[in-house]
Amino acid sequence: MSRETAGTADDREPGTDPLLRIEDVRKSYGSEEVLRDVSMTVDRGDVEVLVGPSGSGKSTLLQCINRLTEVDSGRIFLEDLEITAPETDPNEVRGRIGMVFQDINLFTHLTARKNVTLGLEKVRGMDREEARLRADEELDRVGLADQADSYPAQLSGGQKQRVGIARALAMDPELMLFDEPTSALDPELSNEVLAVMEQLVEEGMTMVVVTHEMRFARGGATGITFLDEGEIVERGPPETLFENPDHERTARFFESIRHD
Amino acid sequence: MEALLAPVETVAAFPLPELAVAVPSEEAVAEVLGEDWAFVYRNRWHLLGGAAVTVALTATSLLLGFLAGFPAGAIETYGSGYSRSLVRKLGVLLRGTPILVIMIYAFFVLPIGIVVGPVVAVLEGLDSLLAPTPLAVPAVGEAFVAATIALGLRSAAYQSQIFRGALASVGEGQMRAARSVGMSRLGAIRHVIVPQALRRSVPGFQNEFTIVLKDTSIAFAIGLGELLKRSNDLFTQQTTAVLEIILAASLIYFVLTFGTNRGLDYASERYAIPGEGT
Repeated sequence: MSRETAGTADDREPGTDPLLRIEDVRKSYGSEEVLRDVSMTVDRGDVEVLVGPSGSGKSTLLQCINRLTEVDSGRIFLEDLEITAPETDPNEVRGRIGMVFQDINLFTHLTARKNVTLGLEKVRGMDREEARLRADEELDRVGLADQADSYPAQLSGGQKQRVGIARALAMDPELMLFDEPTSALDPELSNEVLAVMEQLVEEGMTMVVVTHEMRFARGGATGITFLDEGEIVERGPPETLFENPDHERTARFFESIRHD
Repeated sequence: MEALLAPVETVAAFPLPELAVAVPSEEAVAEVLGEDWAFVYRNRWHLLGGAAVTVALTATSLLLGFLAGFPAGAIETYGSGYSRSLVRKLGVLLRGTPILVIMIYAFFVLPIGIVVGPVVAVLEGLDSLLAPTPLAVPAVGEAFVAATIALGLRSAAYQSQIFRGALASVGEGQMRAARSVGMSRLGAIRHVIVPQALRRSVPGFQNEFTIVLKDTSIAFAIGLGELLKRSNDLFTQQTTAVLEIILAASLIYFVLTFGTNRGLDYASERYAIPGEGT
Protein backbone atom coordinates (compact mmCIF):
# COMPACT_ATOMS: atom_id res chain seq x y z
CA MET A 1 0.00 0.00 0.00
CA SER A 2 3.01 2.33 0.23
CA ARG A 3 4.11 4.79 -2.40
CA GLU A 4 7.20 2.67 -2.99
CA THR A 5 5.32 -0.37 -4.20
CA ALA A 6 3.01 1.77 -6.28
CA GLY A 7 5.96 3.62 -7.75
CA THR A 8 5.96 7.24 -8.77
CA ALA A 9 5.27 8.96 -12.03
CA ASP A 10 8.97 9.52 -12.51
CA ASP A 11 10.21 5.96 -12.47
CA ARG A 12 7.31 4.23 -14.09
CA GLU A 13 6.03 4.04 -17.61
CA PRO A 14 2.60 5.60 -17.81
CA GLY A 15 -0.20 3.23 -18.66
CA THR A 16 1.37 0.17 -17.09
CA ASP A 17 -1.46 -0.40 -14.61
CA PRO A 18 -4.40 1.66 -15.81
CA LEU A 19 -7.40 1.88 -13.48
CA LEU A 20 -9.33 4.64 -15.19
CA ARG A 21 -9.40 5.21 -18.92
CA ILE A 22 -11.23 8.11 -20.51
CA GLU A 23 -11.59 8.01 -24.28
CA ASP A 24 -12.75 10.92 -26.43
CA VAL A 25 -15.41 12.12 -24.04
CA ARG A 26 -17.70 14.87 -25.25
CA LYS A 27 -20.42 16.63 -23.36
CA SER A 28 -22.56 19.64 -24.22
CA TYR A 29 -25.18 21.53 -22.33
CA GLY A 30 -27.37 22.93 -25.06
CA SER A 31 -25.10 24.63 -27.54
CA GLU A 32 -22.29 24.96 -25.03
CA GLU A 33 -19.57 22.36 -25.36
CA VAL A 34 -18.30 21.57 -21.87
CA LEU A 35 -15.97 18.68 -22.76
CA ARG A 36 -14.38 18.25 -26.18
CA ASP A 37 -12.64 14.99 -26.91
CA VAL A 38 -11.15 14.52 -23.48
CA SER A 39 -8.92 11.46 -23.16
CA MET A 40 -6.72 10.45 -20.27
CA THR A 41 -5.57 7.46 -18.28
CA VAL A 42 -5.06 7.23 -14.55
CA ASP A 43 -2.96 4.38 -13.25
CA ARG A 44 -3.63 2.55 -10.04
CA GLY A 45 -2.07 4.48 -7.17
CA ASP A 46 -1.85 7.68 -9.19
CA VAL A 47 -3.07 11.02 -7.96
CA GLU A 48 -4.21 13.11 -10.88
CA VAL A 49 -4.95 16.75 -10.20
CA LEU A 50 -7.24 18.57 -12.61
CA VAL A 51 -6.78 22.31 -12.78
CA GLY A 52 -8.19 24.99 -14.98
CA PRO A 53 -10.28 28.13 -14.95
CA SER A 54 -13.87 27.86 -13.80
CA GLY A 55 -16.09 26.58 -16.54
CA SER A 56 -13.27 24.55 -18.05
CA GLY A 57 -15.16 21.29 -17.56
CA LYS A 58 -13.27 19.79 -14.60
CA SER A 59 -16.32 19.13 -12.44
CA THR A 60 -18.33 17.85 -15.36
CA LEU A 61 -15.57 15.38 -16.15
CA LEU A 62 -15.64 14.09 -12.56
CA GLN A 63 -19.41 13.72 -12.67
CA CYS A 64 -19.16 11.79 -15.93
CA ILE A 65 -16.74 9.37 -14.27
CA ASN A 66 -19.32 8.22 -11.72
CA ARG A 67 -22.26 8.86 -14.02
CA LEU A 68 -23.85 11.64 -12.08
CA THR A 69 -23.74 13.16 -15.55
CA GLU A 70 -24.04 11.16 -18.78
CA VAL A 71 -21.53 11.70 -21.57
CA ASP A 72 -22.75 12.58 -25.07
CA SER A 73 -20.10 10.42 -26.71
CA GLY A 74 -16.86 8.71 -25.85
CA ARG A 75 -16.19 5.98 -23.32
CA ILE A 76 -14.92 5.70 -19.79
CA PHE A 77 -13.56 2.49 -18.29
CA LEU A 78 -12.86 1.48 -14.72
CA GLU A 79 -10.52 -1.43 -15.28
CA ASP A 80 -12.62 -3.66 -17.57
CA LEU A 81 -15.98 -2.19 -16.68
CA GLU A 82 -17.24 0.24 -19.28
CA ILE A 83 -18.77 2.88 -17.04
CA THR A 84 -20.48 4.68 -19.89
CA ALA A 85 -22.09 1.59 -21.44
CA PRO A 86 -25.88 1.91 -21.31
CA GLU A 87 -26.23 -1.56 -19.79
CA THR A 88 -23.84 -0.75 -16.93
CA ASP A 89 -25.64 -0.16 -13.66
CA PRO A 90 -24.64 3.31 -12.44
CA ASN A 91 -25.05 2.13 -8.86
CA GLU A 92 -22.39 -0.52 -9.41
CA VAL A 93 -20.05 2.15 -10.77
CA ARG A 94 -20.75 4.46 -7.86
CA GLY A 95 -20.19 1.62 -5.42
CA ARG A 96 -16.61 1.34 -6.72
CA ILE A 97 -15.90 5.06 -6.92
CA GLY A 98 -16.05 7.43 -3.95
CA MET A 99 -16.90 11.07 -4.40
CA VAL A 100 -16.29 14.12 -2.25
CA PHE A 101 -18.13 17.32 -3.10
CA GLN A 102 -17.33 21.00 -2.99
CA ASP A 103 -20.61 21.67 -1.18
CA ILE A 104 -19.95 18.64 1.09
CA ASN A 105 -23.58 17.48 1.13
CA LEU A 106 -23.62 15.56 4.36
CA PHE A 107 -27.07 14.17 5.12
CA THR A 108 -28.20 16.89 7.51
CA HIS A 109 -30.67 14.75 9.45
CA LEU A 110 -28.11 12.11 10.39
CA THR A 111 -25.16 12.02 12.79
CA ALA A 112 -21.64 11.77 11.44
CA ARG A 113 -21.69 8.04 12.12
CA LYS A 114 -25.04 7.51 10.40
CA ASN A 115 -23.85 9.50 7.41
CA VAL A 116 -21.26 6.80 7.00
CA THR A 117 -23.44 3.80 7.85
CA LEU A 118 -26.37 4.70 5.57
CA GLY A 119 -24.62 3.52 2.41
CA LEU A 120 -23.21 0.46 4.15
CA GLU A 121 -26.64 -0.61 5.40
CA LYS A 122 -28.83 0.35 2.45
CA VAL A 123 -26.46 -0.33 -0.42
CA ARG A 124 -24.12 -3.02 0.95
CA GLY A 125 -26.78 -4.62 3.12
CA MET A 126 -24.47 -4.70 6.14
CA ASP A 127 -26.13 -5.27 9.46
CA ARG A 128 -26.29 -2.35 11.81
CA GLU A 129 -23.58 -3.36 14.24
CA GLU A 130 -21.07 -4.24 11.52
CA ALA A 131 -21.79 -0.96 9.74
CA ARG A 132 -21.32 0.92 12.99
CA LEU A 133 -17.90 -0.61 13.57
CA ARG A 134 -16.89 0.12 10.00
CA ALA A 135 -18.08 3.72 10.29
CA ASP A 136 -16.20 4.28 13.51
CA GLU A 137 -13.07 2.93 11.83
CA GLU A 138 -13.42 5.38 8.96
CA LEU A 139 -14.21 8.30 11.26
CA ASP A 140 -11.10 7.43 13.22
CA ARG A 141 -9.14 7.38 9.96
CA VAL A 142 -10.11 11.03 9.31
CA GLY A 143 -9.51 11.95 12.96
CA LEU A 144 -13.15 12.35 13.99
CA ALA A 145 -13.76 9.36 16.23
CA ASP A 146 -14.90 11.75 18.97
CA GLN A 147 -17.52 13.42 16.74
CA ALA A 148 -19.37 10.28 15.67
CA ASP A 149 -22.59 11.35 17.41
CA SER A 150 -22.52 14.97 16.23
CA TYR A 151 -24.91 16.22 13.60
CA PRO A 152 -23.54 18.08 10.57
CA ALA A 153 -24.83 21.41 11.85
CA GLN A 154 -22.73 20.91 14.97
CA LEU A 155 -19.49 20.41 13.01
CA SER A 156 -17.09 22.90 11.45
CA GLY A 157 -16.72 23.01 7.69
CA GLY A 158 -13.45 21.11 7.81
CA GLN A 159 -14.92 18.44 10.07
CA LYS A 160 -17.93 18.08 7.78
CA GLN A 161 -15.73 17.56 4.78
CA ARG A 162 -13.72 14.94 6.65
CA VAL A 163 -16.96 13.10 7.43
CA GLY A 164 -17.73 13.40 3.70
CA ILE A 165 -14.41 11.69 2.97
CA ALA A 166 -15.10 8.98 5.57
CA ARG A 167 -18.52 8.38 4.02
CA ALA A 168 -16.92 7.79 0.64
CA LEU A 169 -14.05 5.68 2.02
CA ALA A 170 -16.39 3.37 3.90
CA MET A 171 -17.64 1.96 0.62
CA ASP A 172 -14.10 0.71 -0.10
CA PRO A 173 -13.70 2.59 -3.36
CA GLU A 174 -11.03 1.72 -5.88
CA LEU A 175 -10.97 5.33 -6.98
CA MET A 176 -11.72 8.56 -5.13
CA LEU A 177 -12.97 11.67 -6.88
CA PHE A 178 -12.56 15.03 -5.15
CA ASP A 179 -14.48 17.96 -6.59
CA GLU A 180 -12.88 21.09 -5.13
CA PRO A 181 -13.06 19.64 -1.62
CA THR A 182 -11.64 22.73 0.10
CA SER A 183 -12.88 25.63 -1.97
CA ALA A 184 -15.89 26.23 0.28
CA LEU A 185 -13.69 26.28 3.39
CA ASP A 186 -11.64 28.89 5.20
CA PRO A 187 -7.89 28.38 4.72
CA GLU A 188 -7.30 27.11 8.25
CA LEU A 189 -10.12 24.58 7.82
CA SER A 190 -8.78 23.54 4.43
CA ASN A 191 -5.58 22.33 6.01
CA GLU A 192 -7.21 19.59 8.05
CA VAL A 193 -8.96 18.32 4.91
CA LEU A 194 -5.77 18.47 2.88
CA ALA A 195 -3.96 16.57 5.62
CA VAL A 196 -6.49 13.73 5.31
CA MET A 197 -6.10 13.74 1.55
CA GLU A 198 -2.32 13.63 1.85
CA GLN A 199 -2.68 10.68 4.18
CA LEU A 200 -4.74 8.91 1.49
CA VAL A 201 -2.02 9.65 -1.03
CA GLU A 202 0.43 7.96 1.27
CA GLU A 203 -1.83 4.95 1.64
CA GLY A 204 -1.71 4.59 -2.15
CA MET A 205 -5.31 5.51 -2.95
CA THR A 206 -5.99 6.30 -6.59
CA MET A 207 -7.41 9.79 -6.74
CA VAL A 208 -8.64 12.32 -9.25
CA VAL A 209 -8.72 15.72 -7.61
CA VAL A 210 -10.10 18.99 -8.87
CA THR A 211 -8.48 21.68 -6.76
CA HIS A 212 -6.82 25.06 -6.73
CA GLU A 213 -4.62 24.05 -3.80
CA MET A 214 -1.28 24.09 -5.53
CA ARG A 215 0.52 23.03 -2.39
CA PHE A 216 -1.39 19.76 -2.48
CA ALA A 217 -0.76 19.40 -6.21
CA ARG A 218 2.95 19.96 -5.73
CA GLY A 219 3.28 17.56 -2.83
CA GLY A 220 0.83 14.80 -3.64
CA ALA A 221 0.07 14.69 -7.35
CA THR A 222 1.68 12.23 -9.71
CA GLY A 223 0.27 14.14 -12.64
CA ILE A 224 -1.40 17.44 -13.38
CA THR A 225 -3.90 17.97 -16.14
CA PHE A 226 -4.67 21.49 -17.25
CA LEU A 227 -8.09 21.89 -18.81
CA ASP A 228 -9.36 24.97 -20.56
CA GLU A 229 -12.63 25.41 -22.43
CA GLY A 230 -13.36 21.72 -22.28
CA GLU A 231 -10.04 20.58 -23.67
CA ILE A 232 -6.95 19.09 -22.12
CA VAL A 233 -4.35 21.71 -22.91
CA GLU A 234 -1.45 20.02 -21.25
CA ARG A 235 -0.67 17.12 -18.98
CA GLY A 236 2.47 16.14 -17.13
CA PRO A 237 4.24 15.74 -13.81
CA PRO A 238 3.79 18.67 -11.40
CA GLU A 239 7.32 20.08 -11.76
CA THR A 240 7.04 20.32 -15.54
CA LEU A 241 3.66 22.02 -15.48
CA PHE A 242 4.56 24.43 -12.74
CA GLU A 243 8.04 25.38 -13.89
CA ASN A 244 8.19 24.60 -17.56
CA PRO A 245 4.82 24.36 -19.25
CA ASP A 246 4.72 23.86 -23.00
CA HIS A 247 1.78 26.11 -23.49
CA GLU A 248 1.35 29.79 -22.99
CA ARG A 249 -2.21 29.24 -21.62
CA THR A 250 -0.90 26.92 -18.90
CA ALA A 251 1.78 29.36 -17.88
CA ARG A 252 -0.71 32.20 -17.72
CA PHE A 253 -3.11 30.15 -15.61
CA PHE A 254 -0.50 29.19 -13.02
CA GLU A 255 0.70 32.78 -12.98
CA SER A 256 -2.83 33.99 -12.26
CA ILE A 257 -3.53 31.61 -9.38
CA ARG A 258 -0.13 32.24 -7.83
CA HIS A 259 -1.36 35.71 -6.94
CA ASP A 260 -4.60 34.55 -5.38
CA MET B 1 -79.21 11.41 10.22
CA GLU B 2 -79.09 12.40 13.86
CA ALA B 3 -76.25 11.34 16.12
CA LEU B 4 -74.24 9.73 13.41
CA LEU B 5 -71.15 9.14 15.41
CA ALA B 6 -70.70 8.47 19.06
CA PRO B 7 -74.17 9.41 20.23
CA VAL B 8 -74.09 11.38 23.43
CA GLU B 9 -75.74 8.58 25.32
CA THR B 10 -72.71 6.36 24.80
CA VAL B 11 -70.46 9.00 26.29
CA ALA B 12 -72.76 9.74 29.18
CA ALA B 13 -73.59 6.10 29.83
CA PHE B 14 -69.94 5.22 30.17
CA PRO B 15 -69.40 4.96 33.93
CA LEU B 16 -67.38 8.00 34.94
CA PRO B 17 -64.92 7.58 37.76
CA GLU B 18 -65.80 9.37 40.96
CA LEU B 19 -64.18 12.77 40.83
CA ALA B 20 -62.27 13.96 43.85
CA VAL B 21 -63.54 17.50 43.29
CA ALA B 22 -67.27 17.75 43.73
CA VAL B 23 -69.08 18.50 40.45
CA PRO B 24 -71.16 21.65 40.95
CA SER B 25 -74.90 21.20 40.78
CA GLU B 26 -76.98 22.84 38.07
CA GLU B 27 -78.76 24.89 40.74
CA ALA B 28 -75.45 26.26 41.98
CA VAL B 29 -74.43 27.23 38.43
CA ALA B 30 -77.82 28.88 37.82
CA GLU B 31 -77.53 30.85 41.03
CA VAL B 32 -74.05 32.20 40.27
CA LEU B 33 -74.05 32.55 36.46
CA GLY B 34 -77.68 32.65 35.49
CA GLU B 35 -80.18 30.35 33.84
CA ASP B 36 -78.54 30.41 30.36
CA TRP B 37 -75.18 29.21 31.60
CA ALA B 38 -76.99 26.56 33.60
CA PHE B 39 -78.53 25.43 30.31
CA VAL B 40 -75.06 25.16 28.75
CA TYR B 41 -73.86 23.29 31.81
CA ARG B 42 -76.80 20.89 31.77
CA ASN B 43 -76.02 20.04 28.13
CA ARG B 44 -72.28 19.84 28.51
CA TRP B 45 -72.10 16.19 27.45
CA HIS B 46 -74.09 16.96 24.35
CA LEU B 47 -71.56 19.65 23.40
CA LEU B 48 -68.55 17.55 24.34
CA GLY B 49 -69.96 14.67 22.30
CA GLY B 50 -70.06 17.09 19.36
CA ALA B 51 -66.47 18.05 20.11
CA ALA B 52 -65.58 14.34 19.98
CA VAL B 53 -67.13 14.13 16.51
CA THR B 54 -65.18 17.25 15.52
CA VAL B 55 -61.93 15.70 16.72
CA ALA B 56 -62.70 12.38 15.01
CA LEU B 57 -63.56 14.13 11.75
CA THR B 58 -60.39 16.21 11.93
CA ALA B 59 -58.34 13.06 12.44
CA THR B 60 -59.90 11.08 9.60
CA SER B 61 -59.74 14.07 7.23
CA LEU B 62 -56.09 14.81 7.99
CA LEU B 63 -55.26 11.14 7.63
CA LEU B 64 -56.96 10.92 4.24
CA GLY B 65 -55.33 14.24 3.35
CA PHE B 66 -51.91 12.88 4.25
CA LEU B 67 -52.37 9.52 2.55
CA ALA B 68 -53.41 11.24 -0.68
CA GLY B 69 -51.49 14.48 -0.29
CA PHE B 70 -48.03 13.11 0.41
CA PRO B 71 -47.87 10.92 -2.71
CA ALA B 72 -49.42 13.77 -4.68
CA GLY B 73 -46.68 16.12 -3.50
CA ALA B 74 -44.05 13.51 -4.37
CA ILE B 75 -45.54 13.03 -7.84
CA GLU B 76 -45.57 16.79 -8.39
CA THR B 77 -41.91 16.92 -7.39
CA TYR B 78 -40.49 13.75 -8.94
CA GLY B 79 -43.16 12.49 -11.29
CA SER B 80 -43.24 13.11 -14.98
CA GLY B 81 -45.64 13.59 -17.81
CA TYR B 82 -49.23 12.56 -17.33
CA SER B 83 -49.15 11.63 -13.66
CA ARG B 84 -47.73 15.00 -12.71
CA SER B 85 -50.08 17.02 -14.86
CA LEU B 86 -53.10 15.03 -13.69
CA VAL B 87 -52.19 15.53 -10.03
CA ARG B 88 -51.61 19.24 -10.62
CA LYS B 89 -54.96 19.69 -12.32
CA LEU B 90 -56.82 17.83 -9.59
CA GLY B 91 -55.10 20.01 -7.01
CA VAL B 92 -56.04 23.20 -8.82
CA LEU B 93 -59.63 22.01 -9.09
CA LEU B 94 -59.91 21.11 -5.40
CA ARG B 95 -58.19 24.23 -4.17
CA GLY B 96 -60.36 26.34 -6.43
CA THR B 97 -63.67 25.01 -5.15
CA PRO B 98 -65.30 26.22 -1.92
CA ILE B 99 -65.24 23.56 0.77
CA LEU B 100 -69.00 23.83 1.25
CA VAL B 101 -69.52 23.04 -2.42
CA ILE B 102 -67.15 20.05 -2.23
CA MET B 103 -69.00 18.80 0.83
CA ILE B 104 -72.38 19.03 -0.84
CA TYR B 105 -71.00 17.11 -3.82
CA ALA B 106 -69.61 14.47 -1.51
CA PHE B 107 -72.86 14.08 0.38
CA PHE B 108 -75.51 14.42 -2.33
CA VAL B 109 -73.74 13.47 -5.54
CA LEU B 110 -71.17 10.81 -4.66
CA PRO B 111 -72.65 7.34 -4.15
CA ILE B 112 -71.52 7.40 -0.53
CA GLY B 113 -73.35 4.18 0.23
CA ILE B 114 -70.78 2.27 -1.78
CA VAL B 115 -68.03 3.71 0.41
CA VAL B 116 -69.94 3.47 3.66
CA GLY B 117 -70.86 -0.19 3.20
CA PRO B 118 -67.33 -1.59 3.47
CA VAL B 119 -66.35 0.95 6.13
CA VAL B 120 -69.29 -0.05 8.28
CA ALA B 121 -68.54 -3.72 7.69
CA VAL B 122 -64.95 -3.23 8.88
CA LEU B 123 -66.05 -1.24 11.91
CA GLU B 124 -68.70 -3.77 12.84
CA GLY B 125 -66.10 -6.48 12.55
CA LEU B 126 -63.86 -4.51 14.89
CA ASP B 127 -66.79 -3.94 17.21
CA SER B 128 -67.55 -7.65 17.49
CA LEU B 129 -63.87 -8.30 18.19
CA LEU B 130 -64.09 -5.79 21.03
CA ALA B 131 -67.36 -7.24 22.28
CA PRO B 132 -66.02 -8.87 25.45
CA THR B 133 -64.54 -5.49 26.50
CA PRO B 134 -66.42 -2.36 27.52
CA LEU B 135 -64.92 -0.57 24.49
CA ALA B 136 -67.12 0.00 21.48
CA VAL B 137 -66.56 1.27 17.97
CA PRO B 138 -68.88 4.18 17.32
CA ALA B 139 -71.38 3.87 14.51
CA VAL B 140 -70.41 5.78 11.40
CA GLY B 141 -72.94 7.42 9.18
CA GLU B 142 -73.01 8.70 5.66
CA ALA B 143 -72.58 12.33 6.65
CA PHE B 144 -69.39 11.51 8.53
CA VAL B 145 -67.96 9.64 5.55
CA ALA B 146 -68.99 12.37 3.13
CA ALA B 147 -67.45 15.04 5.36
CA THR B 148 -64.23 13.02 5.64
CA ILE B 149 -64.03 12.65 1.87
CA ALA B 150 -64.68 16.35 1.28
CA LEU B 151 -62.34 17.69 3.97
CA GLY B 152 -59.78 14.96 3.28
CA LEU B 153 -59.53 15.55 -0.45
CA ARG B 154 -59.44 19.30 -0.02
CA SER B 155 -56.74 18.88 2.61
CA ALA B 156 -54.82 16.53 0.29
CA ALA B 157 -54.79 19.28 -2.31
CA TYR B 158 -53.20 21.64 0.21
CA GLN B 159 -50.97 19.08 1.90
CA SER B 160 -49.55 18.14 -1.50
CA GLN B 161 -48.29 21.71 -1.78
CA ILE B 162 -46.77 21.60 1.71
CA PHE B 163 -44.90 18.41 0.87
CA ARG B 164 -43.99 19.53 -2.63
CA GLY B 165 -42.38 22.64 -1.18
CA ALA B 166 -40.62 20.67 1.56
CA LEU B 167 -39.29 18.04 -0.87
CA ALA B 168 -38.09 20.71 -3.27
CA SER B 169 -36.38 22.59 -0.43
CA VAL B 170 -34.04 19.69 0.24
CA GLY B 171 -31.01 20.62 -1.84
CA GLU B 172 -30.05 18.94 -5.09
CA GLY B 173 -26.72 18.04 -3.47
CA GLN B 174 -28.39 15.62 -1.03
CA MET B 175 -29.58 13.55 -3.96
CA ARG B 176 -26.15 13.66 -5.62
CA ALA B 177 -24.45 12.61 -2.39
CA ALA B 178 -26.87 9.72 -1.87
CA ARG B 179 -26.46 8.56 -5.47
CA SER B 180 -22.68 8.82 -5.16
CA VAL B 181 -22.60 6.11 -2.50
CA GLY B 182 -24.61 3.88 -4.81
CA MET B 183 -28.17 4.43 -3.59
CA SER B 184 -30.97 4.22 -6.11
CA ARG B 185 -33.08 7.29 -6.77
CA LEU B 186 -35.97 5.79 -4.83
CA GLY B 187 -33.67 4.79 -1.97
CA ALA B 188 -32.27 8.32 -1.85
CA ILE B 189 -35.74 9.82 -1.77
CA ARG B 190 -36.82 7.42 0.95
CA HIS B 191 -33.80 7.52 3.25
CA VAL B 192 -32.40 10.98 2.64
CA ILE B 193 -34.91 13.38 1.10
CA VAL B 194 -38.18 12.38 2.78
CA PRO B 195 -36.90 12.37 6.39
CA GLN B 196 -35.60 15.89 5.91
CA ALA B 197 -38.68 17.06 4.03
CA LEU B 198 -41.09 15.73 6.67
CA ARG B 199 -39.36 17.78 9.35
CA ARG B 200 -39.55 20.87 7.20
CA SER B 201 -43.24 20.38 6.55
CA VAL B 202 -44.26 20.59 10.21
CA PRO B 203 -45.01 24.36 10.25
CA GLY B 204 -47.12 24.09 7.11
CA PHE B 205 -48.84 21.05 8.51
CA GLN B 206 -49.65 22.91 11.71
CA ASN B 207 -51.50 25.50 9.67
CA GLU B 208 -53.32 22.84 7.74
CA PHE B 209 -54.33 21.08 10.94
CA THR B 210 -55.89 24.24 12.31
CA ILE B 211 -57.73 24.93 9.07
CA VAL B 212 -59.16 21.42 8.85
CA LEU B 213 -60.23 21.44 12.49
CA LYS B 214 -62.09 24.70 12.07
CA ASP B 215 -63.61 23.67 8.76
CA THR B 216 -65.18 20.58 10.27
CA SER B 217 -67.87 23.05 11.35
CA ILE B 218 -68.96 23.20 7.71
CA ALA B 219 -70.21 19.61 8.05
CA PHE B 220 -73.08 21.31 9.88
CA ALA B 221 -74.44 21.94 6.37
CA ILE B 222 -74.90 18.23 5.71
CA GLY B 223 -76.35 17.59 9.15
CA LEU B 224 -73.38 15.94 10.83
CA GLY B 225 -73.70 16.20 14.59
CA GLU B 226 -70.37 17.90 15.22
CA LEU B 227 -69.76 20.69 17.68
CA LEU B 228 -71.40 23.53 15.75
CA LYS B 229 -74.44 21.47 14.74
CA ARG B 230 -75.00 20.49 18.34
CA SER B 231 -74.57 24.07 19.50
CA ASN B 232 -77.21 25.02 16.98
CA ASP B 233 -79.53 22.28 18.26
CA LEU B 234 -79.16 23.74 21.74
CA PHE B 235 -79.74 27.40 21.00
CA THR B 236 -82.80 26.70 18.89
CA GLN B 237 -84.16 25.05 22.03
CA GLN B 238 -83.29 27.97 24.29
CA THR B 239 -82.98 31.08 22.14
CA THR B 240 -81.88 33.30 25.00
CA ALA B 241 -78.68 31.25 25.40
CA VAL B 242 -77.16 31.80 21.93
CA LEU B 243 -74.23 33.86 23.23
CA GLU B 244 -73.49 31.46 26.09
CA ILE B 245 -73.60 28.39 23.86
CA ILE B 246 -71.52 29.88 21.09
CA LEU B 247 -68.97 31.12 23.65
CA ALA B 248 -68.73 27.62 25.06
CA ALA B 249 -68.30 26.15 21.57
CA SER B 250 -65.67 28.76 20.73
CA LEU B 251 -63.81 27.93 23.90
CA ILE B 252 -63.79 24.24 22.95
CA TYR B 253 -62.52 25.05 19.43
CA PHE B 254 -59.83 27.26 20.89
CA VAL B 255 -58.66 24.66 23.40
CA LEU B 256 -58.46 22.08 20.62
CA THR B 257 -56.48 24.24 18.18
CA PHE B 258 -54.26 25.82 20.79
CA GLY B 259 -53.56 22.58 22.61
CA THR B 260 -52.73 20.66 19.46
CA ASN B 261 -50.54 23.42 18.09
CA ARG B 262 -48.59 23.47 21.31
CA GLY B 263 -48.22 19.71 21.07
CA LEU B 264 -46.94 19.99 17.51
CA ASP B 265 -44.56 22.79 18.54
CA TYR B 266 -43.18 20.50 21.18
CA ALA B 267 -42.88 17.61 18.75
CA SER B 268 -41.08 19.71 16.17
CA GLU B 269 -38.60 20.86 18.78
CA ARG B 270 -38.18 17.36 20.07
CA TYR B 271 -37.47 15.97 16.59
CA ALA B 272 -35.52 18.96 15.29
CA ILE B 273 -32.08 18.16 13.93
CA PRO B 274 -29.56 19.10 16.63
CA GLY B 275 -27.63 22.25 15.77
CA GLU B 276 -30.25 23.44 13.32
CA GLY B 277 -32.76 26.12 14.20
CA THR B 278 -36.43 25.23 14.08
